[in-house]
Amino acid sequence: MITRRAAARLLAGTTATAALGAGLSPVLAADKVIKIGADLSLTGADAEGATRVKDGIIMAVDAANQGNAVPGYTFELLTLDDGTATAGQYDPAQAATNARKMVSDQDVVAAIGPQMSGAGKAMAPILSQGDLATITPSSTNPDITNPKFAEQYRPAGKPIYFRTVTTDAFQGPNMANYMAEKLNIKSVYVLDDSGAYGVGLADAYQAQIEKKGVKVLGRDRLDPKAADYMTVLTKIKALNPEALYYGGVGQAGIKLAKQAYDIIPNTIKAGGDGVYGASFLIGTGFPAADGWYATIASPHLTADTKAANFVKAFTDRFGVAPEDYSITAYDAALVIIDAVKRVAASGKPVTRSAVRDAIQTAKVPTIQGIVSFDANGDLADRTVSVFQIKKDTSAKLDDISAQYHYIDVAPQV
Amino acid sequence: MTLFDLLLQQTINGLSLGAMYALLALGFTLVYGILELINFSHFNVFMVGSFIAMGVLQLFGLTGQDVILTGLPLVGVLLVTFAVTMVSSGAIGVAIERLSLRPLRNVKGPAAMITTIGVSYILFNIILLVCGAEAKNYPNPMPTVRYHIAGAVLDLRVVLIWIVALVLMGGLYLFVQKSRIGKAMRATAQDAEAARMMGVDVDRVVMMAFFLGSALAGAGGLIFGLYYNFTSFIIGFTAGLRAFTAAVLGGIGNVPGAMVGGVIIGMIEAMGGQFIATAWTDVIIFSILVLVLVFKPAGLFGRMAPTKS
Repeated sequence: MITRRAAARLLAGTTATAALGAGLSPVLAADKVIKIGADLSLTGADAEGATRVKDGIIMAVDAANQGNAVPGYTFELLTLDDGTATAGQYDPAQAATNARKMVSDQDVVAAIGPQMSGAGKAMAPILSQGDLATITPSSTNPDITNPKFAEQYRPAGKPIYFRTVTTDAFQGPNMANYMAEKLNIKSVYVLDDSGAYGVGLADAYQAQIEKKGVKVLGRDRLDPKAADYMTVLTKIKALNPEALYYGGVGQAGIKLAKQAYDIIPNTIKAGGDGVYGASFLIGTGFPAADGWYATIASPHLTADTKAANFVKAFTDRFGVAPEDYSITAYDAALVIIDAVKRVAASGKPVTRSAVRDAIQTAKVPTIQGIVSFDANGDLADRTVSVFQIKKDTSAKLDDISAQYHYIDVAPQV
Repeated sequence: MTLFDLLLQQTINGLSLGAMYALLALGFTLVYGILELINFSHFNVFMVGSFIAMGVLQLFGLTGQDVILTGLPLVGVLLVTFAVTMVSSGAIGVAIERLSLRPLRNVKGPAAMITTIGVSYILFNIILLVCGAEAKNYPNPMPTVRYHIAGAVLDLRVVLIWIVALVLMGGLYLFVQKSRIGKAMRATAQDAEAARMMGVDVDRVVMMAFFLGSALAGAGGLIFGLYYNFTSFIIGFTAGLRAFTAAVLGGIGNVPGAMVGGVIIGMIEAMGGQFIATAWTDVIIFSILVLVLVFKPAGLFGRMAPTKS
């Protein structure tokens, strides 16, 4: 008899396999299968970006399997979705469930994700108890790796949350520096989307921009599920700030950008990596998206000559251009594959704890350069890149590399 | 902007929100008045309506905000879109009633209400699976025309929204008051059994209530899309809950009450956002609801119904 739970497991299994699609290469009978967990926000407002992140991981895993990167081992992805229909975006509760699912599957030796900090906060303690390391390609909230909150986010002691991007301790403040020094703004209004990422980013930005002597005219919180931000935008219009800074992801960001275009068209508008990506472009559309500044918590990778082969292979295979976070995800997978390789080569059994230790000491050449982590799991490189959306009619509307114009690296704090 | 300009602008914002909530609230009130059933599927009929309208606009070759129409073509496109959307949404409402609620008509207890929640989730997930999860950039052929009144800005589309909402609500009110089936609806609302004895076809009346309510929700969905240039599978819940609150505030079952309730909720949202904080919107709205219900349990315009046997 198929119990309900068994049926659910069966279904989850099929979805995970279906998500991998044609990416699986034939498994050699003698090979031991190693699973890499992946937790992404495939349902909801950030789905478009999530798919491109997933595709980045698939590229790395397929290449490793085809090139027999670790002799005797075949990699398999366990893709889980932390976006839910009811939340309309990532859902921390679903992320926690996914973390438990990964921990309870003994074949999973490391994970990639989550994309969102709100999900990361829910997953970190569970992963810590399960001694399962994860590498996030895009979640930037600094609390998760901050030793001050170790009891909360890594109760078992060892760092298990690694990143191939830097944190909002740099993303927010560096952008504040850029806006104060390069855009010469004198006043700003700060908004967030009530999520862990959005609030943290906006807080960090606000602290630094105040330090730079820019007047913060107000701070408000958007309900990502509400449709109407005209009220708060009218309030902002009356205060007439030179700039608006938004910390948050696409669900509120898209609506904010559309309505801000109507109400405060001439105000400088900026956000973090939550307003960077195809989801934001498609949802917002032009002309509303035009002029928005966005940052990412990594160097601008897709334009890098070292990334040219990857960008071409990715575009050929998936029919869309990769985002920078497709590359940080690809890099995260490379770090895990390298860690497994070193553990296997040392003759020790490939266990979670051995792989975690290997990730901690990683020095892996990737597209973004040599990836290594500090004692808390944060990326050694702290580059934040600034972009501005300028409509390029010759390219597709969702072509990120055409519509987001790379400006510069933001001044370091 | 002076304080007066600001108040004026927020009043404009509040009235636009209110018009949308009122259209949606009418559907709750019509069905409740007749069946004493809270129809939660109404939330997502509104959402489906915005998607149907988007499909119609796309059939006209409109995408994003690039194609702008004026004059007769604009009026024609909007009329056709409203008509198709309202008829299809109305048909969805009728189908919901016929397939899932009529068989439960004489079942006591919460079965029918729970069924409407189920139907709501079915609609929600169908749109999610068919149309995808991402936010849609809504096709909008309306030109940007702005009127400046003192320091406030009034968009042409806002005026259009008010006119459409007023026409629809006025039409509904006249229909319920004057037409034969409208009278039958009121009779059924008062006492279904007596109405049936007088020869009123109650099934037809119920079907009509679902059709009208859902058609208005569909129109609300289209207005939502044109106003915000955006739709997503998730819009039903927040708007639906506030509209439902508006219906209760105005006195559920009472048609003018629903309109006034909608405008009140819209104004609270706008003024609360201005003078307190947007994050507190729901706290303010629902606190006022609780206060009103404590002192006037039947809502602002409702009368306590005599207990039906």
